[in-house]
Amino acid sequence: MMKVGKIIGTALLGFFFMLFIALDLVLFGVVALASVVVTLLPLIGLVLGGAVGAMVNNNQQPAA
Amino acid sequence: MMAIRWPLTGLFFGLLVVGGASPAGAEFEENTNGCFGGGTFQEGQFSIDADSVGDRVVTIPRSDTVAWQGSVTAPPGMYYGSIKVELPPPWGSVTIDSWKGDSQSASNTGTEEYDLPTLLPGGVEFKVTGEHVDQNGRCSGYVKLKVEGKPFSSPITWVSLFGTVATGAGIAFVARPLFRRVG
Repeated sequence: MMKVGKIIGTALLGFFFMLFIALDLVLFGVVALASVVVTLLPLIGLVLGGAVGAMVNNNQQPAA
Repeated sequence: MMAIRWPLTGLFFGLLVVGGASPAGAEFEENTNGCFGGGTFQEGQFSIDADSVGDRVVTIPRSDTVAWQGSVTAPPGMYYGSIKVELPPPWGSVTIDSWKGDSQSASNTGTEEYDLPTLLPGGVEFKVTGEHVDQNGRCSGYVKLKVEGKPFSSPITWVSLFGTVATGAGIAFVARPLFRRVG
């Protein structure tokens, strides 16, 4: 249970991290407000964050 | 959003008041009722019109007075229209102004003063779309707008940068076991 919670938590963290990156890109005029990049980046963050959470969990598994 | 309403209305549909149609300063996507329009930014000292702006990004002053004009080829009769700001997909757009009515006037001019709030950051590219439908046809178009100024003129930029650093630090903290040295 703890494992799933950590993966979800890291996925959410990744989502918000990339959401803020997207917002920064918009605010600095790199991409337009209506750009699909603004939609894709948070989703990529969600997936990558979940992957990082899973890798950390695997890394912390006690040796059998 | 109210502060941005009038200048955009003036830019896009100069005949809003009398009910003709005229996207001004916009790239036409459709124009079957022969609408035409334009606007002059008095302090910015530049003019834009529907036929020449094309796909380029128009940078507008944070505050100014716009003298606009517009026309259609024939009396519009019953009409309706709207102006929207495009959002990232899949959120669509936000309507910032709409109108409808009945008119026989085929042209109009006017002057609108605007002052955009400091919360609106400078340099952000907005795609603003508009359409006007009357008994003679439909015209629709868009304009890409940027508000003059620097990103740091708005507190939103500082909040966003803080959010980036805070969530980035969180990711780094969670992921630190992955970067431990082996052996």
